[in-house]
Amino acid sequence: MTSIGTGYDLSASTYSPDGRIFQVEYATKAVENSGTAIGLRVKDGIVLAVERLIHSKLLVPGANRRIQAVDRHIGMATAGLLADGRNVANRAREESSQIRTLWREPPTAVADRLALYAQAYTLYSSVRPFGISTIFGGVDKTGPSLFVVEPSGVCGYHGAAVGKGRQLAKTELEKLKLSELSMREAVIEAARIIYLVHDDNKEKEFELEMSWVGNETGGLHAPVPTDLLAEAEQKAREALETFE
Amino acid sequence: MDHFPTNWGRPRNDMFDAYGTHPIHQRPDNRPKDTFADSVQHTQQPIVTGTSVLAIKYKDGIMMAADNLASYGSLARFKDVQRLHSVGKYTVIGAGGDMSDFQYIQHILEEVQIAEGTHQDGHELGPVEIHEYLSQVMYARRSKMDPLWNSLLIGGFKDGKRFLSYVDLLGTTYSASTLATGFGAYIAQPLLRKAVEGYEDVLTTEQAQNILESCMRVLFYRDARSLDKYQIATITAEGVSITGSLKLQTSWDFAEGIRGYGAQTQ
Amino acid sequence: MSSFNPYTENGGAILAIAGADFSVVAGDTRQSEGYSIQTRYAPKVFRLTDRAVLAVNGFAADGNMFVKKVKQRLEWYRHAHAKDMPLRSIARLIQTMLYSRRFFPYYVYNILGGIEEDGSGAVYSFDPVGSYERETCRAAGPAQSLLQPFLDNQIYFKNQQPVPGTAHPTHLPLQVVLSVVIDSFTSATERHIEVGDGLEIYIILAKGRGLQGLEGVKGVQELSISEDSERIFVIRRELKKD
Repeated sequence: MTSIGTGYDLSASTYSPDGRIFQVEYATKAVENSGTAIGLRVKDGIVLAVERLIHSKLLVPGANRRIQAVDRHIGMATAGLLADGRNVANRAREESSQIRTLWREPPTAVADRLALYAQAYTLYSSVRPFGISTIFGGVDKTGPSLFVVEPSGVCGYHGAAVGKGRQLAKTELEKLKLSELSMREAVIEAARIIYLVHDDNKEKEFELEMSWVGNETGGLHAPVPTDLLAEAEQKAREALETFE
Repeated sequence: MDHFPTNWGRPRNDMFDAYGTHPIHQRPDNRPKDTFADSVQHTQQPIVTGTSVLAIKYKDGIMMAADNLASYGSLARFKDVQRLHSVGKYTVIGAGGDMSDFQYIQHILEEVQIAEGTHQDGHELGPVEIHEYLSQVMYARRSKMDPLWNSLLIGGFKDGKRFLSYVDLLGTTYSASTLATGFGAYIAQPLLRKAVEGYEDVLTTEQAQNILESCMRVLFYRDARSLDKYQIATITAEGVSITGSLKLQTSWDFAEGIRGYGAQTQ
Repeated sequence: MSSFNPYTENGGAILAIAGADFSVVAGDTRQSEGYSIQTRYAPKVFRLTDRAVLAVNGFAADGNMFVKKVKQRLEWYRHAHAKDMPLRSIARLIQTMLYSRRFFPYYVYNILGGIEEDGSGAVYSFDPVGSYERETCRAAGPAQSLLQPFLDNQIYFKNQQPVPGTAHPTHLPLQVVLSVVIDSFTSATERHIEVGDGLEIYIILAKGRGLQGLEGVKGVQELSISEDSERIFVIRRELKKD
């Protein structure tokens, strides 16, 4: 690495001479070690899916969830450091609550506020940038919206993928006609992509974690029902066999 | 329970304006002035007010009633106001007193529900929790000398159990099988007790509805700050339902036959 | 425009009598404001520990909050010391808690009953700002002026001459005390509009001193689980509802 030994990677508040901020790049590395998380913005809603790697057989099923609820109509999935994910979720809840109190309606632009928050953590020597990428999805009066918030910035997307398998996942997402999919179809596709990007040889076990927001849920962020989840996983496994 | 929300939380004082004839926002203030009094403002009086809320236990759960009027002193200011409000899947709150404080209460309950919901652990707030929370809020605010000027009824049904309880601007709480706030505590409560006490487990939906309707009618005849447009909320094992606005059938024919006071003596 | 008054008065009556090795704490269950009965069942007597019972009367919201805070402090004590707080310590705790609100008082009259560490029955009574003393009997609430003179006469034998050559008993047996309590409340119900509806009598018996005739009492219900420590019982009775 070009950064090592130069001293320019010791703080996120110092540029290197060629204009890079190494701490932000290191934060991105922390994300790359994490199980994949994807988000799909489809016709009438959002689907979030996470490949939750099981680090120990001693863990209770469902432990260390990485999809969190922010507001009634907003959910987020993180890849990276779990604790950072929880911190950002708490901040997101505060921001959402603040906007709701001011405007007395379901908030719309919470992701922007979070981007400011993430960016603030690149400005001071006493803090480090968050070691996470956050997929932020919600349905509001403007329709479904999907954002990715990272230390390096925020972007809106039709489909998003972060974490270890993001490259392959993005390739798969690009093949889909996202704006024509129904939420149920999106659930099936999301499950298939997570199963596809999971590397059986290198990785341990994983659990598929999925949530959705949209017409199917009456505009509320909710976990994908267990029967639909089971169906999606079944189809994902079948698809995997034909794929190979 | 005093009929006039203006008088709630104040010492009973018939020496001054016993009939509440002053426009409430224009009452003379003869208190000694604190030098710093102007720098902190608290709710000292309700402005736009709702009157009675009624609630009873019956066979299938809880039934509540409140009219659609929000008064501005003696002016019937807003005639399509919802004073029954559902909170989650198991609870309805009904409010008398200041309507802006009630809207604020609705807001904080929404915030609390969202905060609880984000845990995604399957637990939901029931009527018991909501009543406890509201009691703490109301008591805390009265202790800051900045009360939320309401009397609230909380009715609910969860885990096979009915729940009906009261809380007001002082943080006073109680429960009973029939409850009434405001003027209803004087006029409707005796009627409700007679009709409901001892029959909580046998009264049908229809009977309960009839009891509440007749009480709302009596209140409309006697309470000058009431309206003949009202709503009924039922909370049962099936969940919450609040009717649209219902109209009371009233008859004022008897007025023709009244003799003996005013200018009309024959 | 008069300013906001954070207090109200919710009526009712409470009463406690200490025996040699027992304590009785009672209260009616009516809650009222002005001429309105708010509810016919709102308990005013609360079990704090296995050997302490607290009765509160005055402004109900303050009362409930105060009991809640006392219970919380007793729980913290249990976590710190792995035992229940002794009765006299609870009494002192209540005085400091009340006095800490000297300039915005809990508008509540407290009566604490229970068994001391030496096994004797005890009653402590408090004013709203924490003045307190240990007594043999005490009544409080709007009906105090009806109840206390009756207790003075029946418990302290005021205005009674003993039979020449004998002395008044220092402590009365449980059954006599229960009769006095029940009579007190039926009488207060007759003469005071804020008293009535229901009666709850808590009885705390010292360790290993038998049931003292409690077994024959109608409707008595044991709250304690163990027979080899202090035992707590409750008797619930109806009072007139008019």
